[in-house]
Amino acid sequence: MRPDGGNPQPVRLVRPAVAPLSAMAQLGRFVFFDPALSSSGALSCASCHSPRHAYGPPGDLPVMAGGRALTRQGARAVPSLMYLERQPNFSIGPDDAESEAVPAPLPPGGAATAAKQAQNAAQSAQSLVPQGGLFWDGRVNTLQSQALGPLLNPLEMDGGSVGRVAQRLRRAPYAARFAQLFGAQIFERPDGMLAEALFAVARYQIEDPSFHPYSSKYDAWLEGKARFSPAEARGYALFRDPRGANCAACHLERPDANGLPPLFTDHQFEALGVPRNTALASNRNQRYFDLGICGPARTDMTHAAPYCGMFLTPTLRNVATRHAFFHNGVYRTLQQVLDFYDFRDTRSQRVYAHRKFDDLPAVYRANVDTVDAPFDRKAGQAPPLTARQERDIIAFLRTLTDGYRPPK
Amino acid sequence: MSRFLAIFIALTFVVSASSGSPAAESTGNARTATPIKHLVILYGENVSFDHYFATYPKAANPPDEPVFHAAPGTPAVNGLVTSHLLRNNPNLSNTANGADAADPFRLDRTQANTADQNHAYTAEQQAYDGGKADLFPKYTGKGTTGGVGAFGSRGQVMGYYDGNTVTALWRYAQHFAMSDNAYTDVYGPSTPGALNVVAGQTNGMQAIATTKGPATLAAPSYFVNDGQGGLTMINDVDPAADVCSNKNDQVLMSGQNVGDLLNDAGVTWGGFMGGFDLSATNANGTTGCKRTTYSPIVASAVVDYIPHHNWFAYYSSTGNSTHARPASVSAIGHTLDADGTHDPANHEYDLNDFYAAVKAGNFPAVSYLKAPAYQDGHAGYSDPLDEQSAIVTLVNFLETRPEWKDTAIVLAWDDSDGWYDHAAAKATSPSFDAVDQLDGNAACGSGTALPGAGGKPVNGRCGPGTRVPFLVISPWAKTNAVSHTLISQASVVRFIEDNWLHGRRLGGGSFDASAGSIMAMFDFRSGGHAPVLVLDPRTGNPVAAR
Repeated sequence: MRPDGGNPQPVRLVRPAVAPLSAMAQLGRFVFFDPALSSSGALSCASCHSPRHAYGPPGDLPVMAGGRALTRQGARAVPSLMYLERQPNFSIGPDDAESEAVPAPLPPGGAATAAKQAQNAAQSAQSLVPQGGLFWDGRVNTLQSQALGPLLNPLEMDGGSVGRVAQRLRRAPYAARFAQLFGAQIFERPDGMLAEALFAVARYQIEDPSFHPYSSKYDAWLEGKARFSPAEARGYALFRDPRGANCAACHLERPDANGLPPLFTDHQFEALGVPRNTALASNRNQRYFDLGICGPARTDMTHAAPYCGMFLTPTLRNVATRHAFFHNGVYRTLQQVLDFYDFRDTRSQRVYAHRKFDDLPAVYRANVDTVDAPFDRKAGQAPPLTARQERDIIAFLRTLTDGYRPPK
Repeated sequence: MSRFLAIFIALTFVVSASSGSPAAESTGNARTATPIKHLVILYGENVSFDHYFATYPKAANPPDEPVFHAAPGTPAVNGLVTSHLLRNNPNLSNTANGADAADPFRLDRTQANTADQNHAYTAEQQAYDGGKADLFPKYTGKGTTGGVGAFGSRGQVMGYYDGNTVTALWRYAQHFAMSDNAYTDVYGPSTPGALNVVAGQTNGMQAIATTKGPATLAAPSYFVNDGQGGLTMINDVDPAADVCSNKNDQVLMSGQNVGDLLNDAGVTWGGFMGGFDLSATNANGTTGCKRTTYSPIVASAVVDYIPHHNWFAYYSSTGNSTHARPASVSAIGHTLDADGTHDPANHEYDLNDFYAAVKAGNFPAVSYLKAPAYQDGHAGYSDPLDEQSAIVTLVNFLETRPEWKDTAIVLAWDDSDGWYDHAAAKATSPSFDAVDQLDGNAACGSGTALPGAGGKPVNGRCGPGTRVPFLVISPWAKTNAVSHTLISQASVVRFIEDNWLHGRRLGGGSFDASAGSIMAMFDFRSGGHAPVLVLDPRTGNPVAAR
């Protein structure tokens, strides 16, 4: 850190190329903003992935409401659609895209949990860690497949069947664009039509710069075009301190070797043991547990015991604009989130109503990370962060919000 | 042999026995049967003919994409339009395809990043279904999902691009010549395709390290027992001793490849692969076997060098297992250095060395080229737009060289990736191993299998396999011509032998002896005047000649 808060080693960031939207992406924009695809006629993709809220949820409810009468509660907090253009496929352990062999089956034993400190992220990528994919549980790999989820989910857009959605697309004011791109015969293939419509949405997300502008104050700081305030500078140091908050162990903050801006996630899964959110109707059922990789939304790994309770680490870009944190939306403010990291082990009664890790069945509580700082402390020990340090980290997190204008 | 070729051979002098020194080895001065003094084979990955040319020469031309309109008089190709298979395709009507049954459909330029399909030896035979070519969704349409921005759909294996995506290839076809009847010599993926384009033979495999037994239907593997006590390679495996190879599965091939024959004749040649120079460091800091390049289209950093694509590494006579560097740029293509010692590179180089050698005026007679993997066109980690960039960059470069006047570029592909193609060739290389399924259980073709490396009939070479694109770009290429002569990967070997080696053949059961001739794509009588075509590597559109 330079004394004036500037970056002593400015870098050049390689941002995604910007070009006029293709015809495909323009079609995707129409689909993205079309509420007529939902049973209520009121919800579009953009209702929950609001462009004015970093493509995350507007308002401060833990989860969004959907269904025909907009009375049904979604199962999980709405993730942002930003910065997914480099999201890797779901895998366990190191993946090898060039291999033409059939991918190895999941290991029977389970994960070897490597301690995750900033300096050994590479080593951890070599061990058997679940990583990548989309949704909180990584259950699909492409933006196209992701878009199908909310569209058909009865708790969300509730679009009904593939045939039904295709019928709505045929009647849409932008229907002629399908024929232009795919030929008139596309209207006879409901499956194909929906696949193309959702690919178009994905293409909109890939092409439109608003999904990945990399225009935060932090990006400007990396490039030597902005200076941290003293609080931001202290927060940045704490964020990176392997013995302190250790945020950067999972929320990677450095540009990669290709000059691509940091995504503030290692794309890996973690079991953090966040508290149960009693505001969710589904949680009134004492036997209901959201186990992330092990379901219920994900159905192909329900018996992968070592991974039960693990959720995908999200980007922290634009995190200060959110009002629903973690998969169950249990927290509304960054202060609450930082308190969770601070007190989960040292003052757990401040975090949990009755018992620690109350949102996991007893058999899976051992999957919770108790190794990596700041989760390596015992009950009664000093919390890793002071109140001022929490405020400093939050000041730093605010530098991750897009739309920063460098001073003239 | 055509009458014309016979005349050329008659006019050619016997190349004198060579000491192998740079002076004695011939570059542009070798006696050749045709005016071609430099042959450059850019070997792409994983494309079927219909995947790139199904609707040639008619593109959809949606807004804001590179526009393609065919020149008047463009000949028709054996694609999906002429065969009336765009609608009511048997892959839609055959209920065995289940929910993935589909008609062919256009892939848009924005869908350049797709999933990879299944292209194993047995799966491809099953998809061709005794020549009916109606089980692609069931057997080869089982790919990875592709990257986060990739397109996926039921029956994606039926997708094809047109001139709005593979724009440069369509334009080269308009100005030069291509074949619509080119096949892989055998079914299966990359490594068999790599061996056949240099040796025409996949029998004679020796496992140096292996975790596998011979392939069965239940337990796939990369080799089968050939029925004569030997082994035939049918799927991908790394070359033995290459420092970048997987340590647990490595093989060598017996027999000769065309590099051995070129060495005997003192003709300069090389295998040039992206990523081969382990001492180089890319802009992202990667080096050695792990050198990578980031592609925004597939949104990942892809390793440049893939050992199981390296044609010549499978033979102890032409391998360079340590990736030793040539002594100098002037040594490239030569067996011996200026001081008479054996050059450490042994004809194996990096793609950058090809550009350096040609720029220095040291253009080898025969050059096999492989782009770094992100540009090789293989679905899943590469794509047609990155591939186009590599092709156009190469063609633009060579067109500026003084040697262009007697150069031919062959664009060929190692396998089809399993992508749908409607044209099934009758098996003329039968095989009756348990994993052969083309014409029923344990059956590919009929009669007796062809002789293998040891001269006796061997299993594991079921072919011709899948139809792949094949283009010839040269001043001597016919203009806007489509050849329908049946050719295969080994036809490249045959051309080299006919042009430089007086028609000498490899023997040992190589397909070079039976492969069709690519001569129909050239006009050596009145040709030599096809104008250069300079394209934009990004769009494939013409740019003003420099």
